[in-house]
Amino acid sequence: MQKTKLPAVVATFVVCFAFWILLTWSFSAQELIAGAVVSLCVALFAARFFIHKKAGWLANPAKFFSCLGFWLCIFPVELWKANVNMAKIVFGGCKNVNPGIVKVPTAMKSDYGVAAVSNSITLTPGTITMEVAEDPQEQRNYLYVHWINVEETDPAKAGEAIKGTLEKGLRRVWQ
Amino acid sequence: MSDMLIFAICFAVLAALNLYRLAVGPNAADRMVAGDAMDNLICCAMILFSLISGRGIYLDIALLSALFGIIDTILVGRYLEKGRGL
Amino acid sequence: MVLRIVCDVFFLIGLIFALAGTLGILKMPDTFSRMQASTCVSTLGTLGVCIGGVLYAAIGMHSASAAVKIAVIGLLILITNPIGSHVLARGAYKAGIRPEKKMETDDLGRDFDE
Repeated sequence: MQKTKLPAVVATFVVCFAFWILLTWSFSAQELIAGAVVSLCVALFAARFFIHKKAGWLANPAKFFSCLGFWLCIFPVELWKANVNMAKIVFGGCKNVNPGIVKVPTAMKSDYGVAAVSNSITLTPGTITMEVAEDPQEQRNYLYVHWINVEETDPAKAGEAIKGTLEKGLRRVWQ
Repeated sequence: MSDMLIFAICFAVLAALNLYRLAVGPNAADRMVAGDAMDNLICCAMILFSLISGRGIYLDIALLSALFGIIDTILVGRYLEKGRGL
Repeated sequence: MVLRIVCDVFFLIGLIFALAGTLGILKMPDTFSRMQASTCVSTLGTLGVCIGGVLYAAIGMHSASAAVKIAVIGLLILITNPIGSHVLARGAYKAGIRPEKKMETDDLGRDFDE
C-alpha cells in the first residue's frame, strides 16, 4: 500500500469537485462549500488507489497538445475507417469473417503507455486486446490481439496493420 | 420534434432486439455482451427523450446508467476468469 | 432549420452504426466476433447521438448544463467501454469458451495452454 501524496490528493480533489458541480449545477455558496468538504474527504481517502506515479504530467504543454492532437485528429479517422469496415462486414451477411488471435510486439515501455495503446486498439471495432505479456529478457511488452479478419500472421507485419498509426501518435506522449 | 421521437423509438427497438441474444445466447459472455449493448442503446434513447421533453432528470439517469453499466461487465468478466467475483 | 438538419444527420449516423452493431450481435457466428460487433454500438453509435445532442442543446435550447452533461456521458462511455470489453474477452477465453470453427491462428492458446 502506498502513502498518500499531495499532488495525487489535489488531482483527485479536482476531478471529484468537477463531478459535484456537474451533478448539482448550482453555484450558490452553500452547495460549493459542501461539495468541497465532501470531495476533500474522498480525495484524502481514495487518492492512493487511483494515482501511482506523477499526478501532474498533463500540465506540461507539449504533452498536453500532442495528447489533444492525437485524440482529436488522428484517432477519429482510424475510428471511422474501422467502423465502416465493420459495418460492411455486418451488412454483407457476416460471411467473410476469419477470426484469430495474433501476438504483437509494442514499443511502449511504461505502464501508462501500454494501457493507452491497448485501450485504443480495443476501442477500434475489429480488434480486442486480450492479454498483455512481458518478456523479461528483451525488455519488451507483447499484446495478444483478437482480430476479426486475419490478414497477416507474422508479428511485425500484423502489428503494423493493427496499430501502426495509433502507436506513432501515442509515442509522442509516452515512451 | 417528431423526427427526434422517431429516432428515440428506433433506438429503443434496437435495444429490444438485443433481448433475443440475452435470452438465447449459449453462454454467460454472450448474455453480458448483449446486456452491455442494451445499456448503451437505452442511454442514447434517454438522451434523445430528454432533448424532446426538455427535462434534465433524464440526463442524470443516463449519466448514472453510463457510469454504473461498466461495473456489472467487469464483475461478470472477473467471475468467469477466476471463479469468484472481483 | 439548418441546425435541425445537421443534428438529424448526426443522429442518423449513430442509428446506422447502432443497427450494424445490433445485427452483428444477432448474426455473428461465435462469442468473440459478437464482442467485436458490440464495440460498434458503443463507439460511433453513442458518439453520433452525443455530438448531435450537444449541438442541439447548446445552440437550439441554450442550455449549458444539458450540453455539458451529454458531452460527459459520451466521454464516460468512450473511456469505460474498452476496459469492460477487454475484461470480458479475457474472462471468456480463460473460462474455456472457444469458437466452434477453428481459429486462423491462436497464439494465446499456443503460449499459455501447454
